[in-house]
Amino acid sequence: MLTDHWNATLVLLVTALAAAPLTALAGFWRRTLATPVAIVTTAAAFAAALWGWAEGGPTLDAPWAPAWNLRLTFELDGLAALYSLLATGIGLAVVIYASRYIPLHLAHSERDQGDIVRFYGFLLLFMGAMVGLVMAQDLFLIFLFWDLTAISSYFLIGYDSEREDARASALMAFLITGISAVCFLIGALLLYSEYGTFALPDLMARTESSRLVTTAVALISAAALAKSAQAPLHFWLPRAMAAPTPVSAYLHSAAMVAAGVFLLGRVHPLLEKSDVVMNALVVIGFASMATGGCLALTRKVLKQLLAYSTISQYGYVVVMLGIGGADGAAAASFYVIAHALMKCALFLTAGAVTEATGQKALTGLGGLWRRMPLLAVGSGAAAAGLAALPLTAGFFKDELFFKAADHEGNPIRLLAVAGAALTFAYSWRFWGGIFAGPLQTEPKPLSIRLTAPVAVLGALVLLGGVWPHPFARLAEDAATVTAGTPVHIEVAYHLDSRVENVMAIAAIAVGLVLIFSRPLWQPALVAISTTTVRFGPERLYWAVLLGLNRLSDRMHRIEIHDLRGRVATILLPAGLLVGAGVAVTPGGGTFRIGSLSNGDLPEVLMLTVAALAAITAALARDHLSLALVLSGVGFSLAVVYALLGSPDVALVAVLIETIFALLFVGMLALLPREGDEAIAVITRDREQRLQADNRGRDAVLSAIAGGLAFIVAWGILSKPAPLESVITSHIRLAPVAHGKDIVTVILADFRGLDTMGEITVIGIAFLGIATYLRRWRTR
Amino acid sequence: MTLVLAFSIAVMFGAGAYLLLKHDLIRVVAGMVLISNAANLFIMSAGLSKGSAAIYPLPEDGSVSDPLVQAMTLTAIVISFGVSALLLSLVYRVYQTHRSVDIEQLAVAEEVETRQREEAVAEAEEEVPVAEEEEMALAERGANPVPVSVSESEDR
Repeated sequence: MLTDHWNATLVLLVTALAAAPLTALAGFWRRTLATPVAIVTTAAAFAAALWGWAEGGPTLDAPWAPAWNLRLTFELDGLAALYSLLATGIGLAVVIYASRYIPLHLAHSERDQGDIVRFYGFLLLFMGAMVGLVMAQDLFLIFLFWDLTAISSYFLIGYDSEREDARASALMAFLITGISAVCFLIGALLLYSEYGTFALPDLMARTESSRLVTTAVALISAAALAKSAQAPLHFWLPRAMAAPTPVSAYLHSAAMVAAGVFLLGRVHPLLEKSDVVMNALVVIGFASMATGGCLALTRKVLKQLLAYSTISQYGYVVVMLGIGGADGAAAASFYVIAHALMKCALFLTAGAVTEATGQKALTGLGGLWRRMPLLAVGSGAAAAGLAALPLTAGFFKDELFFKAADHEGNPIRLLAVAGAALTFAYSWRFWGGIFAGPLQTEPKPLSIRLTAPVAVLGALVLLGGVWPHPFARLAEDAATVTAGTPVHIEVAYHLDSRVENVMAIAAIAVGLVLIFSRPLWQPALVAISTTTVRFGPERLYWAVLLGLNRLSDRMHRIEIHDLRGRVATILLPAGLLVGAGVAVTPGGGTFRIGSLSNGDLPEVLMLTVAALAAITAALARDHLSLALVLSGVGFSLAVVYALLGSPDVALVAVLIETIFALLFVGMLALLPREGDEAIAVITRDREQRLQADNRGRDAVLSAIAGGLAFIVAWGILSKPAPLESVITSHIRLAPVAHGKDIVTVILADFRGLDTMGEITVIGIAFLGIATYLRRWRTR
Repeated sequence: MTLVLAFSIAVMFGAGAYLLLKHDLIRVVAGMVLISNAANLFIMSAGLSKGSAAIYPLPEDGSVSDPLVQAMTLTAIVISFGVSALLLSLVYRVYQTHRSVDIEQLAVAEEVETRQREEAVAEAEEEVPVAEEEEMALAERGANPVPVSVSESEDR
């Protein structure tokens, strides 16, 4: 019965998108409310996602901008169910963890505890954006949510905004993912220009292999790969470790980086139409596996190690998507689930360990398993899963991976085993480095909220090892969407010498060799890593960024060199253009003086007053008389309007002039008066300059301006009125629109959109004024 | 009448242009206000018909003043008010930051600042290539009383 009125798609979308504003509002109202509201809203979104997966979300389709073929299309299909479960489920774990971690973090850096509201706000905005992204069935809608994730990630990575490296890292992540998002948009527009739709189901049904499609999907893949931090655009991810640990955990397992592989999965049927792109995915995936895996073995800072491991892990997924087919899609989907659980647990472990011991790097850690058994077991399960040991969900992720790689020939098989071996080695390096060996730093006791999420995630990893079917069903549903055909995933332990088992054993063996032969290869690997960092793509990024910065500085310098000159450079060409326009306009010679009767005398009088007041304003000595004369101009014009038979305009003009006069005088009161030190300096300066100043030049220039205005105005006003105009119908239709005053009917009805634009302009102007007048820190 | 209107518009425009060329930002804003006043009057006087107010019941002879230009002028007046108010508050903000509303002084201040920033950028450029290693080394130094460099091999 419930489903008659409520569809799961809508419920999930609304709960996920409402989480951030609700939490922010509650937090601004009462700071203590932020945490409970964040937990409750995230749990609600998670529940909605679970229900939606069980129920199946129907398509939600509403017109958005029909003229451009834009529709709001959402569907909770298998792929969307997988990623929204991750986004909300991992989100819940991260929010619970953060409710303890962030207050400690803020206390360490001596910041206001109220800053936690900002954290929840952006984290939940991220969650909402992810849920919207995964359910969107329209490329343009995907682009919108895609950018929303980029924006929220910017604020999350730069959460410690007082630290310069955090700001630089946030900017780097934003630039890399933001610029690549433009590639995505270009790709989408290419497809739109050819097929006239952004809707993914239509595109999948209609696209054929062609050069245009290849280009488009290559651009889309580029955006996805940059988001997933694949080589050579991987460098932003380790930098993004400047974020607080819960953010890193979320970005890596369920949100930012996962969004990249999600997009590849979503548009996979399109990717399959281009062999070039599919092959490129395999190559890039392996390159990232190698880069990430090798660099992870050289890093000692916990979060750096995990960051490189993420690059390598998503390399796997990209390889599997590049291999494609039912096996590839199945393996990729299962991998994403397993990896999300494990990586989140490992990040939260890193945060908890750092919190307890104050150590950020492996060098100061060791032997903690006796002191923190719960954390050790939880993260041990996660690390074992990452290393693909049996009895964990991770075992099946590698089984499926090997199964997909098996069809592709020996080189791919070997590379797959090598990648798995690297994973095995750095998983041990992480867990063993923290928990095994002699005790190095005595830990402080930890809150249960910091350890419980790790334990729960670890338990899930173990559960996936003995009862993998729920995970397999979820992956199956997702893979069906990705592959475009029904996919069946069978996961079970087989005690025979099938090729997957052989490859798994080989990977573990090579991994063990890597662990024990560490002193042999470590110096060489460190040298390679230093070289890649020094001459790698990151350097190019900095070079480009600095180059652009310098270019803008140079432009700026040209601009400010002579500010008054700049005003003149705008006025002069404008004047010349107008003059040229007047000169070449045919019939420009018909100037009429117009009739002048006794009845016009008041108007002429008021116009003369206005003109004289304008001249006085130009010559005014001080600011106060300038303000008064200026409102004199305005008020005499209001009288002119009234005399011209337009009471509406006259009333508005009086109102506006009054407000403006008050505003002007009020602002003068804020500026320094005579006798003030600052104004004395300015006045003296001006006295000196006034003599040197070419007053004559200004006068001549403004006379030319006035002259041109005169010619243009006179020429246009002399044109005879056409017999037919839109006014007749306006006047006729005004009673139909239930109005007696034709001007107001035009404003509110016939040209209502103009009025809305006007209101918008005023709104923006007032926002700007409020910002300027706010008492901000001034330099 | 046409000539009188055109002449008043021209005078207001010219006075506005004169103020726009001043050093003093407040006068520049005043110039903008004058120019928008001139524009408003121009739109009003471009009305196709003149007569009594365009409000029902209409007069017997049917001569009403053009309601369309009135509606447009109304919009224009409100918008130019918004823009002028924004400019005024901008001037106030500039004064707060630079203690001056004189364009020449602002230009000098801005140039000084630009030069400083360019120097800072030039300095930053030299540091960039090793930023990541430094960051890591710093993180490790914070963790360890004895500084450990990245390139040092260590087995764990």
